[in-house]
Amino acid sequence: MSFNMNKSDRVLLECDNVSKQYGFFFALNKISFNVKENTILGIVGANGAGKTTLIKILSGLSSPTSGKILISNMDYKENNRNIKQLIGTISSKSFLYEELSIYENLKFYSKLYSVYKKHEFKEKIEQFADNFNLSDWIYEPISFLSTGMKQKVEIIRILIHNPSILLLDEPFSGLDFNSINLLIKILSDLRKDENLTIILATHKIEVIQQISDAILILKRGKISKFAPKTEMDKIKIESYF
Amino acid sequence: MKEKESSNNSNLKLFATILQKDIKSEVRQISDIFSVLLFGIISIFIFSSAYNTINVGISMPIEIFVTQIWMIIFFTLIFIMIKLFVQEKERGTLDGLTTSPVSKNIILTSKIIFCFILLSFIELILILFSFFISIPSTQDLNIIQLFSYILLGIVLPTLDLSVCGTLVSALSMYSKSRSFVLPLLLFPIILPITSPIISLNIKLLEGELLSLALMEILFIAAHAILMFSILVLVSEELLSD
Repeated sequence: MSFNMNKSDRVLLECDNVSKQYGFFFALNKISFNVKENTILGIVGANGAGKTTLIKILSGLSSPTSGKILISNMDYKENNRNIKQLIGTISSKSFLYEELSIYENLKFYSKLYSVYKKHEFKEKIEQFADNFNLSDWIYEPISFLSTGMKQKVEIIRILIHNPSILLLDEPFSGLDFNSINLLIKILSDLRKDENLTIILATHKIEVIQQISDAILILKRGKISKFAPKTEMDKIKIESYF
Repeated sequence: MKEKESSNNSNLKLFATILQKDIKSEVRQISDIFSVLLFGIISIFIFSSAYNTINVGISMPIEIFVTQIWMIIFFTLIFIMIKLFVQEKERGTLDGLTTSPVSKNIILTSKIIFCFILLSFIELILILFSFFISIPSTQDLNIIQLFSYILLGIVLPTLDLSVCGTLVSALSMYSKSRSFVLPLLLFPIILPITSPIISLNIKLLEGELLSLALMEILFIAAHAILMFSILVLVSEELLSD
């Protein structure tokens, strides 16, 4: 399934008949869709529809039982490490070490992706922290930060290695109204300024309607609807759940 | 050739990065280590007091001394195992490692060395403390015998226990009843090496020739190699959902 989302025509991610089976249960059942470069794809669905499983498979946390995933024309199975270099993932659980400072966490993750030289870390991290108004907290442990600030650090963590695709699983959970709006703005700016492709799984239909270019609705592990945002309103989206 | 060398260097850097992070993180939670040490010290104190009550003025036989100290070390390993994968999985940070472009074998090897460092540190304090409190009837060992005891009697078994601990920790992290599964899995894995470790320590502390302890040394080394091979072979499966 694919359509023109009026952005770049280059397909960045291709899922072809992807299934994930746990015993007799299909968490995902022959899912096929394409995502073009520089777009925001919103994934919605009821609990247990397969949103998290799909994000886990795309991020490399889990492997599909069958099917093929191509990212930048590279097969996930054969180019696992190269593909992971292109992806930044935010999961419902934080990837940050609570006892380490913002600086130590970001330095650790940028070292894992081997993107900067030794003398560049400090400058880059301070630059990111400054952009996200976290400069005063950079040497404080993560456990001292509020939920909204932690989410900002998570965003920096996934941006620090210059990825092409961001995979976000319920990034708005636990955030208040202002923090949600701030995160929406950050994501929209990232798509616009950094040409990023963002895949976002959430329960918040209104957020998806606000920022995504296309909406993929999952129902019991299958694609119930995949269409541009313009074709979908809230009631229509809910009717596919 | 050059490419292989640079890949080895980068793997070594990643290994060092993960290990450094684990040590830093542990230092920030130093109370956990203190509680393990306290458990060990109290256990040694209870053992010695019980022995001295019955055998007033008689130094503790090496057999009892060695059995006492290794029993405590085996229990200490359970505490450390929780820190390796179980805790990281519960907090969600393990997913941060597995979604990064780092080979699973590097993650596992760094965890083995982290476990080894932690266990060695605890052993060092416990053994010194127990020598002081229990006053075992050891022979006067010369430098070479003392070096052999440290290297073969302590370092080799500690390395083996670290490999076993990492394997069990990784195997049990997905289980819902981890606290029950962890010791249950560890028991059959370390059972074959408990007797050789104790026998080797007794022989080395009695100043016997190394050739007389060769069987135990080979058995422990073979066990460590076997467990490490299993860990490497199943690494992909162990660290994915």
